[in-house]
Amino acid sequence: MRKLTTLHGRPASERLGDAALLLISLLLAIFFLMPIVWSVANSFKPAAEALANPVALFSKAFSLENYRRLEDVGAGWYVYAANSVLIALGTIVLTVLIAVPAGYGFAKFRFPGQSLIFVVVMATMMIPFQSILTPLFLILKFLGLQNNLFGLVLVYTTFQLPFSIFMMRNSFDAIPSALIEAARIDGASQWALLRRIMMPLALPGVATVAMFAFLNSWNEFLAALIFLSDQNKFTLPIMLVNVSSGIYGIIDWGALQAGITVTMFPCIVLFLALQRYYVRGLTAGAVK
Amino acid sequence: MARLQLRNVVKSYGIHEAVRGVSLDIDDKEFVVFVGPSGCGKSTTLRMIAGLEHISRGEIAIGDEVVNRLGPGKRDIAMVFQNYALYPHMSVRENIAFCLEQQKLPKAEIQQRIATAAETLHITELLDRRPGQLSGGQRQRVAMGRAIVRNPKVFLFDEPLSNLDAKLRVKMRTEIKRLHQLIPTTTVYVTHDQVEAMTMADRVVVMNKGMVEQMDEPQKLYLKPASKFVAGFIGSPSMNFLPARLAGEATDLHLVLEDGTRLAVPASRADDFKHHLNRSVIFGIRPESISSHCDRPGWVPIDAAVDLVEPLGATSMVYFNVGKTGLCASIDSEFAPKARTRLPFSINMNQMHLFDPETERSLAC
Repeated sequence: MRKLTTLHGRPASERLGDAALLLISLLLAIFFLMPIVWSVANSFKPAAEALANPVALFSKAFSLENYRRLEDVGAGWYVYAANSVLIALGTIVLTVLIAVPAGYGFAKFRFPGQSLIFVVVMATMMIPFQSILTPLFLILKFLGLQNNLFGLVLVYTTFQLPFSIFMMRNSFDAIPSALIEAARIDGASQWALLRRIMMPLALPGVATVAMFAFLNSWNEFLAALIFLSDQNKFTLPIMLVNVSSGIYGIIDWGALQAGITVTMFPCIVLFLALQRYYVRGLTAGAVK
Repeated sequence: MARLQLRNVVKSYGIHEAVRGVSLDIDDKEFVVFVGPSGCGKSTTLRMIAGLEHISRGEIAIGDEVVNRLGPGKRDIAMVFQNYALYPHMSVRENIAFCLEQQKLPKAEIQQRIATAAETLHITELLDRRPGQLSGGQRQRVAMGRAIVRNPKVFLFDEPLSNLDAKLRVKMRTEIKRLHQLIPTTTVYVTHDQVEAMTMADRVVVMNKGMVEQMDEPQKLYLKPASKFVAGFIGSPSMNFLPARLAGEATDLHLVLEDGTRLAVPASRADDFKHHLNRSVIFGIRPESISSHCDRPGWVPIDAAVDLVEPLGATSMVYFNVGKTGLCASIDSEFAPKARTRLPFSINMNQMHLFDPETERSLAC
């Protein structure tokens, strides 16, 4: 139907407008995609060519040399990647485990002090992370979790929670109470209600929460740098800095681009895979 | 199958009482309709029976068991919601199976029960669809399937037809009634539509401001309303009300209207009202009880100027004034007058109603 109107029956000026819009969008897309393409292209060049001046965007020679050299950085890139994956998964699981019941509680139960507690939870979003690094360090040291991946997971989860609880509360709020009442009349226990009715309907919210937990823990640098001191426990962002500040301050551009490509790849894949849910999750409850 | 009893049930939100002492005794297999304007407490009462609202005071018993402290899942009831409340992420089959799965019934029995329910409601071919792919009427049927499949003690319906268009509503109305004949189960049905109430119910409970105005069979409600509210609510168009005075003697009663018009009370009704001589009353008369000129006993002539005529096909609504009060008459279209003409009407005083101006209760009771 829409295609028909585009082909026929529409004035030339409107079609010209569409074409202009398309052109501008394309230019913008190229503008934003350029760094990504640049990194990926560079990472597959032979090391020497990556440093060449003037540079070519694409090289005729295909090489995995840069990736091989990444293995020589510290404990090897796959160790750091594994650490990052562990931390990201831990953060996702812990965040979802806490944010889902918390959001459910805030959305569907009434208890004294509810609004106050919710405001306090939300207010923690306003605290800049860097300002409480010292107390966090002391707490982790006290718990014996300093220089420990699980300690870092706890820190990331803490900072992920306010947004996640907010997100889950909105998702659960958007589910009509009649559905819950119907399930209660059907004899569903609180657990069956959450598992069979609420969770499937709040899935877009869960996907959004998981995605943000992943992106933030995957890309985080400062806390990882401060709380981890053992080279074998570093994450990908720390590895990238180690690559770029090589011996004598010489930057190994080829290896750096390879590291960036490795780091970026899961983010892009995950974003594309969850995009559908993610958009639905963010707008949940916006329009009834 | 069970009797349903409400004993002095109260629902209060802070100082506001939404339901103010409702006592009802609903027989086994009876179809009872709660009807009333919005905010009268009918839905709240239903939700208390379902266990979805806490009962502030009083008792509700299903069968012989007081259910005040039982959760909705343990009361052995089924409810059909206004917006159907079907689980959108499950197929029709899963929707209907959900409650049986919660009871941990064997799989074979679940499938068999679903098949029977689906057949009863003619939704067998819809079983593998999602609620989003169904029309309003089909969703309604699935919601009913979900209710009947569990074989509950009590069916509860919360305005189930109000989301359907007028034609479908009439169809589903008869279907629900037929279903009740097929599977006789105690049923409580809430609606604001008095036609639904009249057509479906064994007994109708008319509610107003959190209290029961009257509980009776539909026809009795129409013929012998206990209060001015019931009289005005049941019947369409609404009953006419005129301020009047009851005068005369015990054997020769008549009503004196505001403008001095005198209407003789027929001997058949004099006994009902003779104890209320010489007092102000509200005179109620249904539009169907006013006709063009008629000589039959008990019919009293009245002269009035026609204000407006609304033809409806078989009958016409004729509006005219008596004193300062506007009246409506439902007259056979064949005899309908033209607007702005003066006409002798006849009022069937055999069907007259009198109400106390203060308490608004009927004086005939």
